[in-house]
Amino acid sequence: MFAVIKKELKTYFYSPVGYVFIGLFLIMFSIFFYIDVFQYSSTNFEYIFYSGATILTFITPILTMRSIAEERKNGTEQLLLTSPLSITKVVIGKFIAATIIVIITELCTFLYFGILCFFGKPHITTALVTLFGFLLLAISYISFGILASSITENQIIAGVVTIGFFILTWFLPQFSDIFTNFSLINMFSKFPSGQIDIADTVTYITFTILCLLLTVIVMQRRKSVR
Amino acid sequence: MNMLTGYIEQTEGEIVIDGYNMLKKPKKAKKEIGYMPEGVPLYTDLTVKEFVTYMAEIKGVNRKERKEKVQKIIEKTGLKDVQKKLIKNLSRGYKQRVGMAGALVGEPKILILDEPTVGLDPKQITEIRELIKELGKTHTVILSSHILSEVSQICNKVIIINKGKIVAIDTPENLENKVSNNNCIYVTVEDTENKMENIKDKITGIKNLELVEKNEDGTKQYMIESEDGVDLRKILFTELAKENITIFEMKKADSTLEDAFMKIIEGGNK
Repeated sequence: MFAVIKKELKTYFYSPVGYVFIGLFLIMFSIFFYIDVFQYSSTNFEYIFYSGATILTFITPILTMRSIAEERKNGTEQLLLTSPLSITKVVIGKFIAATIIVIITELCTFLYFGILCFFGKPHITTALVTLFGFLLLAISYISFGILASSITENQIIAGVVTIGFFILTWFLPQFSDIFTNFSLINMFSKFPSGQIDIADTVTYITFTILCLLLTVIVMQRRKSVR
Repeated sequence: MNMLTGYIEQTEGEIVIDGYNMLKKPKKAKKEIGYMPEGVPLYTDLTVKEFVTYMAEIKGVNRKERKEKVQKIIEKTGLKDVQKKLIKNLSRGYKQRVGMAGALVGEPKILILDEPTVGLDPKQITEIRELIKELGKTHTVILSSHILSEVSQICNKVIIINKGKIVAIDTPENLENKVSNNNCIYVTVEDTENKMENIKDKITGIKNLELVEKNEDGTKQYMIESEDGVDLRKILFTELAKENITIFEMKKADSTLEDAFMKIIEGGNK
């Protein structure tokens, strides 16, 4: 499994993908930071992550769309499936590698926290809770992205399906309240105010496990039905 | 082939690799196999060394021995000069070697190579063949190929599969002999007086004599079929000399694995 993580991280940083993801996130984050701090004169670090969640919604596919789709297209999937490694370990390895990229990104945002320390007194615990919530949101996004990537050979389709699904869960609560509990991004809203909602945390984690499990099942099914 | 390597699950029957059942103990069974898939898929973003190391890692090669073993295999497959290059920048022949190195790592007992020489230039083909022959001394190599001349050169045993059924298992020589028409001799002669047709009556043992083609330089090629167990070559030589016919070339008809393949497949389809 560590081999997969290591190799995935290597490919993230040998190809522009890793840099593009982190860079894109930080650029957009900076823009929102600028607006928050200078336009609204707020020294609140947490609230920028509302925008951060929006950014994540659109750029997660950069990380996940190629993970399995490309392996299948290039045939390198054969190398993995014929190795003694189990499918579960492959999927988890890929998932963890993508998560590490997000964690790196989060660590970078401490830079903004540092800047805010000059102007006011941002609350470190709330910030950490926010980052924790943001990580939860990220893992559920990533796991769905990987699932989408396992369904198709085409990276673009995987990416579009991923964004489409996120936007759908984002706006569904507008139609009916029933969907409120299914909206991944809405569940994030409590974290920036410093609350760790157990229900939301559990939902994120179960959603992640569900998606990864489905990915494993999809890959296993492909093995027997061909 | 895909089922053997555990890429696809088998639909019926049983796959046992070195005593391990593929369904019950896939981990152990897969460890005994080094597989190079058709088209040689590789992680082109990695360097040669990284790729081979990665393959060693996913095959569970011991951490302590890994570095040494990877280096050994890189040398064995002749990749030492390019080990720090990105795979995407390598030529087709080198990529094939990298694929081979990936399959070799972890010391599997069985090597399965799917179309290892497709898309290579003649020099690379001979190199790869040499490598396979070399590997054959220490490993069991299963090779699938559409190039039958290659098969008869490299392999000790041939299995011909037609529509999912094994139609023949034998050594290439035996397969060739099975279908070969050993009674046929081809002679190319200069026959200015057109005496060749009479030869049939003069030598006993000729079953059939046929003109195959007339060459531009005036020579003619004949096919002579003899009775079973008679080697006509000696008699032909002396008799034709008496008749003032000059022999330019004389050879026994030898059949190739292609002929054997065609015959067996056709026989199976009937």
